[in-house]
Amino acid sequence: MHEPLHWLILFLPLLAAMVITLFLQRYPRCSAALSVGAVLASFLLSVGVLAEFLDGRAPDIALTWLQVGSLQIQFGLHFDALSALMLLVVTGVGSVIHIYSVGYMRGDPHYARFFAEMSLFTFSMLGIVVSNNFFQMFVFWELVGLSSYLLIGFWYQRPSAADAAKKAFLTNRLGDVGFLIGIVLAWAVTGTLSFAGMKDQLLRDPTLFNTTATVVGLLIFCGAVGKSAQFPLHVWLPDAMEGPTPVSALIHAATMVAAGVYMLCRVFFIFTHHDLLVIAWIGGITALLSALIAVQQDDIKRILAYSTLSQLGYMVMAVGFSAPPAAMFHLTTHAFFKALLFLGAGSVIHALSQEQNIWQMGRLRSKMPLTYWTFLAGTLALCGLWPLSGAFSKDAILAAAWEHNKALFALGELVAFLTTFYMFRLFFVVFLGKPKSDLVGHAHESPRIMTYPLVFLAAASVVGGFMGITQFITPQFSPASARLPIFAPLEPFETSPVAALLGLAAIAIGFVAAYVYYAGAESDPLPGKMKEVCNVLRHKFYFDEFYAGLVDVCQDKPARAINLCDIGLKLLVRLTHGTAEWTGRVLRLVQTGNLQTYTLLLAAGAALVLYFMLTR
Amino acid sequence: MNPAMLSLELAVIGLALAVLLIDLWTLHEFKHRLGYLAAAGLLVILVASLCCASTGEPPATGFSGMFVQDGLALFFKRIFLAAGVLVVLMGVEFRDRIPMGLGEFFTIILMELAGMMFAASANDFVMVYVAMEMMSVSFYILISFQRSRSYSLEAGVKYLILSALSAGLLVFGIALIFGTSGRTNFAVVAAEGTRLAQNKLFCLGALLVLLGLAFKISAVPMQMWAPDVYQGAPTPVTAFLAIGSKAAGFVLVLRVLFVAAPALALHWGKLFTWAAALTILYGNLCAIPQRSLKRLLGYSSIANAGYILLGVAALNPPGSVAVLYYLAGYAFTLAVIFIVLCLVARDSDDIAVLAGLNRRSPLLALALTLGMISLAGIPPLAGFFGKLLLFKAVLEQAAVHRSYLWLALVAIAGVVISYYYYFGVIRAVYWSEEGPEMTPIAVSAPLKVSMGVCIAAMFYLGLCPDAVLSAAAKAVQALRF
Repeated sequence: MHEPLHWLILFLPLLAAMVITLFLQRYPRCSAALSVGAVLASFLLSVGVLAEFLDGRAPDIALTWLQVGSLQIQFGLHFDALSALMLLVVTGVGSVIHIYSVGYMRGDPHYARFFAEMSLFTFSMLGIVVSNNFFQMFVFWELVGLSSYLLIGFWYQRPSAADAAKKAFLTNRLGDVGFLIGIVLAWAVTGTLSFAGMKDQLLRDPTLFNTTATVVGLLIFCGAVGKSAQFPLHVWLPDAMEGPTPVSALIHAATMVAAGVYMLCRVFFIFTHHDLLVIAWIGGITALLSALIAVQQDDIKRILAYSTLSQLGYMVMAVGFSAPPAAMFHLTTHAFFKALLFLGAGSVIHALSQEQNIWQMGRLRSKMPLTYWTFLAGTLALCGLWPLSGAFSKDAILAAAWEHNKALFALGELVAFLTTFYMFRLFFVVFLGKPKSDLVGHAHESPRIMTYPLVFLAAASVVGGFMGITQFITPQFSPASARLPIFAPLEPFETSPVAALLGLAAIAIGFVAAYVYYAGAESDPLPGKMKEVCNVLRHKFYFDEFYAGLVDVCQDKPARAINLCDIGLKLLVRLTHGTAEWTGRVLRLVQTGNLQTYTLLLAAGAALVLYFMLTR
Repeated sequence: MNPAMLSLELAVIGLALAVLLIDLWTLHEFKHRLGYLAAAGLLVILVASLCCASTGEPPATGFSGMFVQDGLALFFKRIFLAAGVLVVLMGVEFRDRIPMGLGEFFTIILMELAGMMFAASANDFVMVYVAMEMMSVSFYILISFQRSRSYSLEAGVKYLILSALSAGLLVFGIALIFGTSGRTNFAVVAAEGTRLAQNKLFCLGALLVLLGLAFKISAVPMQMWAPDVYQGAPTPVTAFLAIGSKAAGFVLVLRVLFVAAPALALHWGKLFTWAAALTILYGNLCAIPQRSLKRLLGYSSIANAGYILLGVAALNPPGSVAVLYYLAGYAFTLAVIFIVLCLVARDSDDIAVLAGLNRRSPLLALALTLGMISLAGIPPLAGFFGKLLLFKAVLEQAAVHRSYLWLALVAIAGVVISYYYYFGVIRAVYWSEEGPEMTPIAVSAPLKVSMGVCIAAMFYLGLCPDAVLSAAAKAVQALRF
């Protein structure tokens, strides 16, 4: 491929976003076609890049973007196994979701704006993927934050959507501040912003960062905590479900939230073993907390959102176990099946006139067969049932946990059990059992433009474990490792039989528990049995309340105190204003409109001037 | 003497007579074309004055030294000519509100213009008086031209009586000067300046002359007439009062002070400091509660007279350069505002007529907004740079005398107060409840062009001041400090 074609991967979506925004606002069909076309073209070009990479000819393109003194900032396109894989995920899953949106968003008054923003997001995300330095990555990191803000708040007329967009943006800012400080520290020590340059220096002198090593790593991890919604900044992701469902699928399941994990893999060389321990525990805690919360949610998209949090926790945990290939593997399979689940949920929501409460659904199996079967595939893949894709990637992580940290391994198995439990709770309530509202009677299968993407993603979820993703990515992180066989269906059971078998057991227990409680249930039986526990879970461990209180104490209360000074100032301003205004009103009285008065005042004024000028 | 020296004035008077004559053979429905004729003629004269007429270098004098054609005179004549074109075009727009005598209306505007041009060239106290009367008499007629409106007549009477009173002061002052010096020519009086400055009667005469001129520029204590007359006069006439009459007053003040009596000027810094400060405060404070737009502009005109007096009070060349520069920018700014008022404030000039203007005519809303922003003195428009020059000139003098520092502070306070009412107008345009009248406003092509030129000039003066600044610097070489 010629060099300009590589640039097109990145800039086609931006071009689409600009053209739609500037010229096509009134042409919804054209804008959809343009946006879908751009992301599809990017996908095809990414496949070309993959072919080049397998040939060993992938180029490394870098232009000088800024030059400030000795600081040189590049704008680059960096292609290696990691970025090639991520490019395919972003453009591939992105294409499918774009196509699905054509059907899902039909009839929305701001159809064109939706596609413009989706294209802007794709551009920003691709920018992160191909970055070869921290500066470029941070710029696109923020652009991703912006487009996420725009898309969450797409229906900005709803106060809840506007609030959710704000919450997502501000929470991300918290993480980004740490990220930025980390980048600046790393630059201050190494004098370069490029990943390759930093890695070289660290290889030459592992003690380069000296005592700051752990701090720098943790600060950079902060960025991932924000973007990938890890504990304690996880609160924004469930609220982000206020956006349209394709947005939830693309941004808040498949790609953007994975950017944090991708970034951790990209700069893996910078983390010390202390950092990695923290990263693993943060991931583990996130996985457990959100899996627990998901058990007691009633909104179909929120359940999936907490499930996403929990799976992101797995990925981050994998990075913490020094197993970036496992993290990337799970990132990829998760992109397939979680996008599938979200789009399936979107199909259900679409059929039930925007109803999202699972307790208003039921027996959709017969009404929406295609959605039912694909959703089942996604659920099983997410639970990690062998031989679906999730089994391979999750077992890779659990195997790494078994090697590194037995406590986190137990935690991981517990999460696997919970995952199966809440997913089948959802599945039984939505698709089986009795219809729980009249809406179900009117439900019908979604149009083909929405079901074909489901089928495609279901296929990917099923065979994702056999695509050779680990084999493709492992050499980048451990070049010395033996070449793995591409097709190895029994590989999990061979490398780490304990993890794999315990995983299967967790799935079985989870399924049975879900069946016992929820098959045919009219309402949730759990709150009746464990009232306090369920209450805590329903309130998401009171994180939102805690943060609201924290903001109140740290910000609102001091602000109110400072406002008192402001009132004083305001009085001063009012006083000045009042003086001027009343002087004006009084002076105006002089201006009576009476000619005699004017003449008198004029003569008196003239006399005064003469008196003062001539007698002194 | 060289008769070509008078060519601009003669051309304007010729044009006035031509309009008056052609009026006799023009049908009533075509009378407004006389306005276009007058505007076109003035435009030709303006272009001629820019290209062909002498540059005023070296200054030429005529009529035994009564008339001088120098850079200062030419600078002001160009402002007057440009203002004349714009005012005549406003008059054409205003024709439906002038029941009869449209041809005469244009003629008198032209005669008025000729008076202003003579004022710019005045080099003799007699000339000052003649030019002043030529302007005043024309204005008596113009202000009360809407004979069916009592407001117009009331304004005319007020202007007549108060102007007559101030003219009385002026002519009494001239008599005293003549009595003490035996001469009326500026140059001759100035030659004996140091001796005459000791003479109290001469000082009294000079003060009376300045008071007479203060009426024209509407400075304290001779400012009372401005709001009433501005409100009552037909809008184009108000514009001419605000732009032309004020500028003519200032050129006479500069000449009397810095050509005829430079020795006195040195001691009278305090007089101008007080006059400037009080005028700024009076104009700005009284403008606050106004709801009538033309009255508001009357008070704004008083406040602006105060700002321009800052340049006079500075008693230095940069101050006078700033006066010239400010007046040039002020002319275009006010022209654009009055064009908008001509079109919008038809039956009433209450601020409520602006409601929904941004929907009725975005062009007019923009023009009015830019005008107000320029008056408020906000970059990058002409008003900002003019005020900057004035303040700079005053602050340069602050090193000499502390009172100038106070003057600058008062002026800044005045500017801050003025934001309130200037932005009140902008708020009325964009953010008020929609009025009953929401039909779009048609703007004729000549007025569109005029507004475009004024806006362009406002930006040009605010962004690229060099050309006009150097012209003003050359013009003030005629003055002595």
